[in-house]
This record gives sequence, C-alpha cells and structure tokens, in this order.
Amino acid sequence: METATHMLRTGRRGPLFEFQMAARDLRASVGRLDLAWSLAWHDVSSRYRGSILGPFWITLSMGLMVMGIGVVFANLFGIALHDYLPLVALGIVFFGAISGMINEGCDTFVHASGMLSQTSLPMFTFVWRTIFRNIINLGHHLVIVVGVLIYYGFWRVANAPVAVIGLLFLVLNAGWLSMLAGIASARFRDIPQIVGSVMQFAIYVTPVMWQASRLSRHHIILDVNPFYHMLEAVRAPLMGAQVAPHTYLFLAIMAAVGWGVTFSIFATIRRRIVHYL
Amino acid sequence: MKAPPVSISCQGLTLRFPVYGVDAKSLKKHLAKITVGGRLGSSHGATEVTAISGLDMELKAGDRLGLVGHNGSGKTTLLRALSGAYEPDEGTIEVYGRIAPLLDLNLGIDPSASGYENIRLRGRIAGLTSKEVDERMDEIAAFTGLGPFLDMPVKTYSAGMQARLAFAAATSVEADVLLMDEWIAVGDAEFQKLAHKRLLKLVERAGILVLASHDLDLLRLYCNKVMRMEGGIASPVTDIRKLDELMAAA
Repeated sequence: METATHMLRTGRRGPLFEFQMAARDLRASVGRLDLAWSLAWHDVSSRYRGSILGPFWITLSMGLMVMGIGVVFANLFGIALHDYLPLVALGIVFFGAISGMINEGCDTFVHASGMLSQTSLPMFTFVWRTIFRNIINLGHHLVIVVGVLIYYGFWRVANAPVAVIGLLFLVLNAGWLSMLAGIASARFRDIPQIVGSVMQFAIYVTPVMWQASRLSRHHIILDVNPFYHMLEAVRAPLMGAQVAPHTYLFLAIMAAVGWGVTFSIFATIRRRIVHYL
Repeated sequence: MKAPPVSISCQGLTLRFPVYGVDAKSLKKHLAKITVGGRLGSSHGATEVTAISGLDMELKAGDRLGLVGHNGSGKTTLLRALSGAYEPDEGTIEVYGRIAPLLDLNLGIDPSASGYENIRLRGRIAGLTSKEVDERMDEIAAFTGLGPFLDMPVKTYSAGMQARLAFAAATSVEADVLLMDEWIAVGDAEFQKLAHKRLLKLVERAGILVLASHDLDLLRLYCNKVMRMEGGIASPVTDIRKLDELMAAA
C-alpha cells in the first residue's frame, strides 16, 4: 500500500497489475476527495469572479430559456402551461447537468496537464473535480426547480427521496461518460468537437423540451436513449410520476458496463495519459 | 510503525515517451544522430523517445545529488519520474519520505485569484490539509512581503511579485525529498537573499536533494554527489570532488 511517505513506481506490466495500479489511483483519489472538492469550488468561484450574480448568471439564463420555450411551445403543442413549463424547466436543468459533466469532461485531463506531469496526484481527482464542479452548478440551478415546483403546486406530489436516488443514477452514469470523454480527448483532439455535436443532437432527441408521452410508449428513441432514462429517473418523481422499473434496470446495467469499460481503458493506458497531454 | 529512513532507489529505470502527431519517419531521419536529446526509436508504428535507459541509483538521507547533462539528456524527466508523475516503462523507483517537487513554481497559480487564494490552492495541491494551510498562512504571507497586495488578484502583480508569491507558497511544505530543476533564484536582490536562506533551510531539513543544473559551481556549492546524464544514460553516482573527471570523461 502506498502512503504519503512511500512511493513505488514500477515498469511491471500485466493486466492484473495494471488494474491494481488503477484501483490504487482510485483509492488515493477517494482519500483526497476534499482536494477535488476544493479545486471544484475554486473553478466555480474563479470563473465568476467579479460578477455580481456569480453562477446564478447561468441560472438566470436557464430561467429565461425555460420561460421562453415554456410559453411559446406550450402554445404550439397545445398543452396547458402548468403541465408543460415544469417539464421544460426540470428537463433543461437536469439535462444541463448531464451535458455539462460530459462536455467539460473533455477538458478534465487536458487542463490538468501541469499538475499531472509533475506531481503524483491521483488522476481520478481531476475526474471528481469536473463532476463536483457541475454538481455545484446544479445546486445553483435548483432554484429554478424548486421555484417551478412550488409555483405550479407539484411540491404536493413530488417525491424527493426517489428523485435523489434518480440523481445518484444520473451522476453515476454521467461520471463514466465524463471520464471516458476526458481520456479520449487527451489522446485525440477531435473528440471535444464530436462530443459537443453529440450532446447538441441529444438535447433534441431526448424528451427535454417535449413530452415523452407524445410518442408511442415504447418508441425506440426513448428505449435506447441513455439520456432519456437518466433524465426520467430524476424528473418523473419530482413531477409526481412513477419511474418505470426498466429505467432503473437500464441505468444500473449502463453504469456497471460503462464503468467497467471506462475503468478497463483507464487501467490499460493510465501510464500513457500523461504523455498524451 | 516506525517509518523507514528516507531513501530513493531506482533500479534499471527506463522511460520511453511515445511522440504523437509527428511524422515518425522524417523526425527519425533528422534526429537519430544528434547528441542532444534522447534516442529515438519506434515501436508499434509510433515514434518513441527513450528519455532514460537502465538507470540505477541509490540515495540515502544526507545525499545531495547534482544532475548534469546536455539539454534533453533526461534530467527533468528523471525529476518528474521521481515526483511520481511519470511511470517507468521498465525497472522500479522506490522513494521513502515526503516528496516536494519544486519543478515549476507557477504550478497551480491562478492569475485571477487573490494572493491568499493562490497560497491556499498551492498548499492544497502540495498535500496540506485546509487546517495546515491556515496554520502556515501568516508565516507564508509574511515571507512574501506583499502585505495588502495579497488581497488583490495575482494578475495585477509585477513578475517579481508573482515570483515572490509562488516561491513562498511552494517552499512552505516541509519535505524529506526535494526535487529541483535549477536552483531557484527569484525576486530582487534583497528577496533573493531571503529566498536563498529559506531554500537552504529547506534543503537542510530535507533528507535528500536532487538538483539538476548546468552551473557546475552551483552544484559544487550545494551537492555532495553528482551524476552525469547523456542521451538518457546515466553515469554512476560519484563524489562531487570528482566532478571534473566526470565532465572530462566524455
């Protein structure tokens, strides 16, 4: 076991050993989660330094977007505002968190190149940094969620504990997507553009701004769309609806397979990542 | 459990860099025979630079090792490997003791943040807890001599002031193993003296110093051992008094 006062680095190879080393990196990062948290707070406060509203500027712009889309599209779709606007509000806020984690994941290792090339900080620390930063941002945007739920009376039917479980599933899955994007972007500089395009595409094929019920129940773009399940696990309970069991099943399998694949890739090329940067 | 004594041990240490995004063939043609830099080779179609090959080294408490060699001979790579950032391709590195890499003073400095915030950030990156940073804050702040400027964003500092801040923050961590790429000299004449004293104290407290430098007189001053690197191949660790012989040998 490695401690603060003992460091061992070897050129030993072999799949088992590489996985042990990757696991050690993970453990070390968990032991220093407070560092990742400090870095994340620093990111947030330095990005909005000097501005009056800070991260609430993004909240404000999201709020305006929700109002605009909510009012106009409710008319276009012919849906009552009190059914439609909360859907859009929650959709935009939580999809924003998903796409934030994945898009910013592309920069996770690239931005950390200075620290990675001259300290022994765990690489996972920077993955958590990106995730925590987006959770902090989400915390600000919850103002919109709470406001809308209270204004339209959904607080009476909202099931917060189930939504929190859903949020865990969301973060769990956005986490490996974020890390995978980070590893891929370190090696291939085209990845951030591709990821950006995919997330742009995803916001339209996912029921962020439209009702899933307008499609037939088992439509393919709902069934195989990971973002739909991630969003639904959080949004449905907040709007007093049931989350379909197969959504949890989908998310659990996706998290297990996704982390399995991501961790394996990380274990395999971990020692190379610092040279990509 | 008592911690084992401070030591560094490298055995058969070999480091290769894959070089991405270059035309492997032309680069190889151009650089293969040049003495500056490591050796280039290729495997799996990607160009590889062998930055360090088969390095053996044993250091114990009290050793002050100077590294000499051309640009690109592998000195910085070795320091980065000792800091734990680069993984060996072959061989092992084992270090007992807290490591403080002072390779890049500006590591983690955020120009838009205030002086205090930067000291805090740097301390956290170096492995201090929030509480430990708080305990040291007064001493670090006093050493920078920046007074009220510490509340201002670092981007408003002059280069010299920035260097003072970075130096004070980076040298606030006591360590057993100190890694330095060139002896650090920053600030105006008066600060340089202070910085020099602080650095000496740090070196005294540290069990081991590894210092890469091109300045032989400087190495004679601070080191008791020396190792010469050339094209990634290291000489044995020898006594500093044999520095001239070592330099003449090539």
